[in-house]
Amino acid sequence: MLRFVAQRLAQAAVIVAIVAVITFTLIHLAPGDPFSAVMDNPNVSEAVRQTLRVQYGLDRPLPEQFARYVSSLAHGDLGWSYSYERTVREVLGTALPNTLLLMGVALVGSFTLGILIALIQVARRGSVTDHALSGISLLLFSMPDFWFAILSLLAFTYWLPIFPVGGVVDPVMHEYLGLWGRIVDRLRHLALPAITLTVLASAAVARYQRAALLDVLPADYIRTARLKGLTERQILRRHALRNALLPIISLIGLSFPALLTGAFFVEKIFAYQGMGYAVVSAIGTRDYPLVMGGVIIGSIMVTLGSLLADLLYALADPRLRGR
Amino acid sequence: MPWQTQDFAADSGPTRYRESPLALGLRRILRKRSSRVALFVLGVIVLVGLLAPLVAPYNPAAQPDIVGLKDLPPSFAHPFGTDPYSRDVLSRVIYGARLSLMIGVLATIVSLTVGVAYGAISGYAGGILDAVMMRLLDACLSIPRLLLLIGVLVAWPNFSIGALVVFLGLTGWFGLSRIVRGQVLALKHAEFITAAQALGASRRRILWRHLLPNLVSPIVVAATLGVAHVIVLEAGLSYLGIGVPPPLASWGNIIHDGSDQGATLWWMALFPGLFMVLTVMTLNILAEAMSDAYERR
Repeated sequence: MLRFVAQRLAQAAVIVAIVAVITFTLIHLAPGDPFSAVMDNPNVSEAVRQTLRVQYGLDRPLPEQFARYVSSLAHGDLGWSYSYERTVREVLGTALPNTLLLMGVALVGSFTLGILIALIQVARRGSVTDHALSGISLLLFSMPDFWFAILSLLAFTYWLPIFPVGGVVDPVMHEYLGLWGRIVDRLRHLALPAITLTVLASAAVARYQRAALLDVLPADYIRTARLKGLTERQILRRHALRNALLPIISLIGLSFPALLTGAFFVEKIFAYQGMGYAVVSAIGTRDYPLVMGGVIIGSIMVTLGSLLADLLYALADPRLRGR
Repeated sequence: MPWQTQDFAADSGPTRYRESPLALGLRRILRKRSSRVALFVLGVIVLVGLLAPLVAPYNPAAQPDIVGLKDLPPSFAHPFGTDPYSRDVLSRVIYGARLSLMIGVLATIVSLTVGVAYGAISGYAGGILDAVMMRLLDACLSIPRLLLLIGVLVAWPNFSIGALVVFLGLTGWFGLSRIVRGQVLALKHAEFITAAQALGASRRRILWRHLLPNLVSPIVVAATLGVAHVIVLEAGLSYLGIGVPPPLASWGNIIHDGSDQGATLWWMALFPGLFMVLTVMTLNILAEAMSDAYERR
C-alpha cells in the first residue's frame, strides 16, 4: 500500500512537471512577448519595453528562463494579471473557493443522482421507465454544457424567475444581511449553477453506472443471492451496487476534466465569480498570464483529482489494500 | 478483452477479407432500429450541410436591412428569426452545419493519424520507450482539453480555420492512442503475429498488414465519438469568441452573436443548439451501436 502511494505520488509529480514544460513552451512559442500585448500603446517607448524585458529576465537564455519559471511556479507566483491589476495568484485565490464549492456540490450531487437513476433503471431493466431514463441521459450526455446552461438560465431566471440572475451573492443587499441572511443569499445564488452542473454531470454517471451494474448481474454470487431467496432490491443494494462501486471511484477521477470545463461555462453564463469566470473574462481582455494561470491550476486540480481517486480506489479495493 | 479480438479475427478471416471490417460493422449496426433512425437523421444533417447553397433560403452573410430586419423573432419569412445584423438565422444554421461538421471530421482525421501512430508505436515497441511515451500521454490527458485550447488560442490571436482544425485534432488523440496501445499490447503475442514474424515479415509490415486491420473497430468507435466531441468543443470555443472567426457561421458562432442579449434573442441560442444536440446524439447512438456490434453482447 505504501509503495503504491509513493509510486502514484511520484507519477503525479512527473505529470505536473511535464505540464509546466508544456505551458512554458506554449508561452514561448506565442508570438511577441508578454509585453507586446499590454503595450500596444505607442507612447511606451522601445527603451521602456527593453527595461521591462530585462527586469522580467526575458533576455536570458531559455534554460535559465525555464528554471526561473519553475521556481516561481513552485513559489505560487503565477505572474501579474493586467486586467485585474492584481497578481494572478490573488485573482485565482479569491475565485478558487467559489469554483471548488460549485464543483464539490456538483460532484456529490451528480454521483448521487446518477447512481440513483442507474439503480432505478437496472431494477426495472427493459421497462418503459428504463428506456425513458436511458433516452434522457443520452440526451443530456449529448448536450454541450454551455447550451444547456444558457437554456437553464433562460428558463429559470427570465421565463420563470425563480432564481437570481447571476453572481455569487446579491451585489447590493449582501453587505447588509446578517449571518443567516448571507448564507441563504449565497445558497440562493449557488442553487441554479450547481443544479445545472449536477444534471449535466449526472448523465455520464448514470450511463456508466447502469453498464457497470449490468456487467455485475450475471455473476455467480448474484445468482447465489437470488437462490438464497433475497429480494431483487436486496440483491441490487447489497451485492450488485457494492461491487459496481469500484468503477465509480475511478470514474470520479476521470470525470474531473469534464466537471472543470463544465464549471467554466456554467460560471461564465451565470456570472458566478469563480476561476472559470475569471479565465473566460481574461480571454476577452487578452490577459495572457491569467489565462495560463488558469490552465496550470486547472491541470493541477485534474491531476490531484485523479491521484485522489486512485488512492481511494486502493483503499476501497481489498485486493489492493493488502499490498 | 482478448476474446473480442479473437472473435473479430475469426470473423474477418485469417485469409483475405471477403467483407471489409467497416462494411461488416455497418451491416450489424443496421439491424437495430435506433441506429437506423440515427443514421437517417445524421444523413439528413450531413446532406443539408453539403447542399447548403441550394437549401438555405438566404445568403448567410447578407445583411439586408440592419435596422428594420434585425432581431426578428421566428416567423414564416424567417423560421429561426434574424440576428442583430439582420441575417437569417436558418440560413446561418444550415451553413453552420457545413462548417461544424467539416471541422469535426477534419480534426478527427488529424487525431486519428497521430493517435494511431503514437499508440501503435508505443505498444509495439514496449520497454522504456513505451513507459516514457505513456507518462507523456498522462500529462497531456491531465491538462483539460478546453483549457489547453483556450491557452493556445489566446496566445495566437487571429487563427485561421485550418490552424483551428489542426489544433483541435492535435489535442484530441490522447484517449485514442491509449486504446490503440492496449489493443496492440493484447495482440502483440497473438498467434497470427508470431506466424507473420516466423515468415520473416518486417516490423512495418506486421504493424500495417496484421495489427492495424484488427484495430479498425475500436478506432472507428473512437473516431465517431471524436467527431461529436470536436463539434461540441468548436462550438464552445466559438461561443467564447475564440473559435471560428466571426463573419463565418458555425453553430457556436451563431449562439455567440446572440449572447449579448441572450434573454431576448432566445431563438439564436435555441435553434443552432438543437441541431448540435441532434448531431452529437446521433453520433453517440451510432458509436454505442458500433461498439455493441463488435463486442456482440
